[in-house]
Amino acid sequence: MPDASQRILAFRLLVLLAGSLPAVWLAWQWYFGDLGAVPAEAVVHFTGRTGLILLLVTIAFSPAFRLTGWVGIMIARRQIGLWAFFWLVAHMLAWMGLDQFWDWPWIRREMVDLPYIRYGAAALLLLVPLALTSFRRMQKAMGYTAWHWLHRLVYVAAALGVTHLWILTRADYRMPMLFAAALAVLTVFRVGDALLGGKRDA
Amino acid sequence: MSRYRYPPIPESEVTPWELFEQRRRFLKRGAALAVAAAAPGLLFTPPARAWQATLARQLEGELPSRSLADGEALTDVKDATTYNNFYEFGTRKSDPEVYAHRLVTAPWSVAIEGEVEKAGTFALEDVLAGQDLEERIYRLRCVEAWSMVIPWIGFPLAELLKRHAPTSRARYVVFESILDPDNLRGQRRSIIEWPYREALRIDEAMHPLTLMAVGMYGERMPNQNGAPIRLVVPWKYGFKSIKSVVKIRLVEEQPTTSWIDQNPEEYGFYANVNPEVDHPRWSQARERRIGENGRRETLMFNGYADEVAELYAGMDLNKHF
Repeated sequence: MPDASQRILAFRLLVLLAGSLPAVWLAWQWYFGDLGAVPAEAVVHFTGRTGLILLLVTIAFSPAFRLTGWVGIMIARRQIGLWAFFWLVAHMLAWMGLDQFWDWPWIRREMVDLPYIRYGAAALLLLVPLALTSFRRMQKAMGYTAWHWLHRLVYVAAALGVTHLWILTRADYRMPMLFAAALAVLTVFRVGDALLGGKRDA
Repeated sequence: MSRYRYPPIPESEVTPWELFEQRRRFLKRGAALAVAAAAPGLLFTPPARAWQATLARQLEGELPSRSLADGEALTDVKDATTYNNFYEFGTRKSDPEVYAHRLVTAPWSVAIEGEVEKAGTFALEDVLAGQDLEERIYRLRCVEAWSMVIPWIGFPLAELLKRHAPTSRARYVVFESILDPDNLRGQRRSIIEWPYREALRIDEAMHPLTLMAVGMYGERMPNQNGAPIRLVVPWKYGFKSIKSVVKIRLVEEQPTTSWIDQNPEEYGFYANVNPEVDHPRWSQARERRIGENGRRETLMFNGYADEVAELYAGMDLNKHF
């Protein structure tokens, strides 16, 4: 029987493997030309959706842990959070490179002129300090209370991300509504937990 | 400019002659039976011809072809038939191609009504009969800032309207698409008000560039592109070019349209392609030409300013967007 730290490592590797599946899928589709008439657009949509979904999954980990008590959830949380950050950075780069072709004057102009680009950029910017302080050493150095307060920014970032998606949607709001509803439920849970559960932090 | 070659149709997709013949015989017998069973008066009227037969005859041989896209390369037919906005089938670009087979196009008739002297509901074969089809290569600019170059086949809408003799009160033309929620899954959700409605001012409708299209790329219109008959107005955003038309109504007052009802702030009656008037949520200055990398500058009236700018002389295009 391997000891606890070995089992945690194996579990982390498993999560890493699972977390890389969307990237494998996207690479496969790209390679075989299955991304449709406008692959650039497909990549921008896929990276953005995957990033937002994983961001919400990361937020859902804390209530899921509270409900199930399974420690594996908390072990996987940082990794999934970092995957979300990875996909959202990829989303930005795909937009700049594949969609805008690194046309900097236009990229700047769209960032200034278009609200949905601003919301998306703001969301990503907020996630940078979270990614940088996601490691245990940083967590310890900051102190848990400060760290938890900082990481509540993930709710703001997710709200900005949903707003970004909402604004650029044309006519069919099913998907952004789904994201907004999920975020609303998670936020209510978080706030309710804080009010009812007192000082317990998760 | 080298002539465009239509992609060859693989042998596997060609209907075997015997099957085709069987079907013809079956149809003929069925029609004969139906006629025999009907009232004696009907025996003296010939059985209805399917519009497919009329159109097939019209598509035979070389059609006159005019390129009005400054020699720009045609969009790949695969892209033009797999990347579509046709919300009747769903809102994803791939939905129309996936669900197109659910569109029932035979029989098809078009109601022409309102301010016309010869109103009525006309079988598509009668609408097509006597029209000289031609190929027109036009740019197509979507309001979502992408564009294609399509070789349409059709005839001027003006030729159709003249036949029905619009009255002096006919100032606008309203079009309606098919309504069939049983087969068109997109119509089971009210994303916009069904059936899809569009409209033109009468001078826009009578303009020689305005086409009723029944085919593209040398073939009859694929379902996902608006079979069997659709409007093509090349200087307006694509949503004006209503697909699968079942009704044409001439009216006196400016009507509203499905998109205006959906969001009047964002969609106006004219919807002329205009790089200087942005959509409230995105820029219209540039466009992605499907099949190309990077962006193109969007042209005023989609490059048809010489032909159509005079229709809007003196109008504030920021207000009448």
